[in-house]
Amino acid sequence: MRKTEGKQAVRFNKKQALRSVAVVAVTALLGATSACGSDDGDGDGSKGGSGKAEIVVWLNGADTPDDARAWLKETFEDEHPGSTLTIEQQEWEGLVERLTTALTSTDQTPDVVEVGNTQAATFTTVGAFSDLTGDLDGLGGDDLLPGFVEAGSVDGKTFAVPYYAGSTYVFYRKDLFEKAGVTEVPATMADFVAAAKKLKQDSGQADFSGYWLPGKDWRDGAAFLWDAGGDFAAPDGDGWQATLSSPESIKGLETFQDLYTSASGAPADANESDPVTPFCAGKIGMMSRPGWVYGMLTDEESGCPELAEQVGVFALPGSDGAPAPVLLGGSNIAISAKSPHQDLARAAVELMLSEDYQTILAEAGLTPAKQSYASKLGDDEFAQATIEAASNAKLTPPAASWATVEGKFVLEDLYSRIAQGGDVEKLAAEADEQIDAELN
Amino acid sequence: MGRRSLPLGLVLPAVALLALALGYPLVRQVVLSLQEFGLAQQFGAPPEWAGLGNYRDLLTDSGLWVVVLRTVAFCFVNAGLTFAIGLGLALLMARMSRPVRILAQCGLLLAWAMPVVAAMTVWQFLFDTEYGVVNWLLTKAGGDFTGHGWLLEPWSFFLVATIVVVWMSVPFVVFTLYAALTQVPEDVLEAAEIDGAGTWQRFVHVVLPAIRPVLLVVILLQVIWDLRVFTQIYTLQKAGGVSKDTNLLGTYIYTLGIKGGDFGTAAAAAMFMLVLTIVLTAPYVRLMLKQED
Repeated sequence: MRKTEGKQAVRFNKKQALRSVAVVAVTALLGATSACGSDDGDGDGSKGGSGKAEIVVWLNGADTPDDARAWLKETFEDEHPGSTLTIEQQEWEGLVERLTTALTSTDQTPDVVEVGNTQAATFTTVGAFSDLTGDLDGLGGDDLLPGFVEAGSVDGKTFAVPYYAGSTYVFYRKDLFEKAGVTEVPATMADFVAAAKKLKQDSGQADFSGYWLPGKDWRDGAAFLWDAGGDFAAPDGDGWQATLSSPESIKGLETFQDLYTSASGAPADANESDPVTPFCAGKIGMMSRPGWVYGMLTDEESGCPELAEQVGVFALPGSDGAPAPVLLGGSNIAISAKSPHQDLARAAVELMLSEDYQTILAEAGLTPAKQSYASKLGDDEFAQATIEAASNAKLTPPAASWATVEGKFVLEDLYSRIAQGGDVEKLAAEADEQIDAELN
Repeated sequence: MGRRSLPLGLVLPAVALLALALGYPLVRQVVLSLQEFGLAQQFGAPPEWAGLGNYRDLLTDSGLWVVVLRTVAFCFVNAGLTFAIGLGLALLMARMSRPVRILAQCGLLLAWAMPVVAAMTVWQFLFDTEYGVVNWLLTKAGGDFTGHGWLLEPWSFFLVATIVVVWMSVPFVVFTLYAALTQVPEDVLEAAEIDGAGTWQRFVHVVLPAIRPVLLVVILLQVIWDLRVFTQIYTLQKAGGVSKDTNLLGTYIYTLGIKGGDFGTAAAAAMFMLVLTIVLTAPYVRLMLKQED
């Protein structure tokens, strides 16, 4: 856009051959370009793929520990003198829309991006990521988590590779369990719901959560849907059919409503992004969070290390006593197809899948991207809960446009309205209609 | 290079730049609104022509009309409130002593100059469900607002949005109208007073006609701005509330295009918004043009 602008103005000046016009045009042009060219001052110096560049990596949320970030930057810059690697942290919320705009611009695209495993399909099917099929063996081959390679593949080609996996499990306060007379960790879904309600009753506080369940948290709410035998959508011929109104799904959503109403003290229109504040304020008896949240809870500055000893964990139990089907969370990494630094970006991805880097992730409670590193999680109760939760974890429907269902907050709206006490059957039918429209 | 070509030559660069800066996006948008343009096209696949299909889908979708009504209502309530409060403050300012006026101007200027996103963060803190100072104050004052979710219900969502939008737009109206008020000829006011006109009569028959051109421009701008309000709604939607029930045209188009990846329909909706803006502002523009004559 800026280039054509310049060309036309120059041609025009020649034709007119009027100095005054040239002055006016140039002045105006300078004004116009300086307005839109202020944010990419490094753009020109880094082009041409000569081996030196400024690589930008997008990582989402606080999931990746600081140690890993520092290691990546340092190691990359050591191995590629003259190049720099900058990590820009993005919020999970609104990530799809930010990627949609950023990945299409050669000037502004990040080189390497982290994308949620359930969001990957939206970008792999439209050619937003570089083809990594040829690099797959070098990156880990069959050792890479198969479900995540699949999430990053389309038509036999792989565009996004696993970064880490992790499902949420339940954190609980041992002291509050004791106080409420809950002597054992719940073994079935029914026990769990009863314990959550008991904790809430025992506290006598309206804003206390026996089980912390913010209204918009459909990702943890999905476990109740799946445990009851329901699902978001099922394949139907060539397309998809939303199934939130099936009797099983309704039953699961009602469990969610029941839990929210009688056991949660979280706002109906909040999401799960900040568990630390209420937990440290003593307002949470149990909550489903990924393992790395433990690091945030015990952080000297922002957390409450004094509560660390009271924190226990277990995998959410299902109705049959086995671990409940929780959402298989995790991320893929990919290289922007528009990035001018494909080779350096590949080098960065290699580092992110290296043993050193993945070990740091594992120590922070994230399941490593390669199966052979699983032992690095350790063997404490956190590792135990991680492995158990993952054993029955489930994915959202693998439809190409699933991410737009997430992007349009269809599920946030549904769960939030259910939490507000809405008619579950009516809301499920409405959501089905929206999901059908998006997926087909 | 005749004498006549000189003025033409001087005007052309400006016209060319305008055509590029305004014309190109507009043409692009019209073209886009006639295409099936999704994420795949965004990354290079050739788009397919949809004719008027996008417009048909849009106009037959009842969702659009609800959003349009909501947008127009929001726009008029906000523009009206902004204007009334702004005019009141401007009149008050004309009667303030100098130090007080400077203090008021500084306060207004700060509100006006505050980046929207930064201001929104503060407003979110104020209205936070669990830890917000508004809930705390109202509870202290005797109400039961512990854990009250301000963004939960659409009407109270828009109440908060209105407070924020009006707070941000009032300073501009005050400054502009205050500047206009200083230009009202003193001698005419004095003459009217000597002739026995009361305060209200002087205001209606002398002050208002004198500042009329500025009033019209301010109303026009306010209507346009409040029609396309985006950042405030978008940020509040992220903070809470149900986005489907609180969309205005701006966030509706954003949801269709950027979040939903259907740029064709989003462009069609944007064209619709353009037409709506023209229809709503046409009376003011006509009045202004009449005044020029």
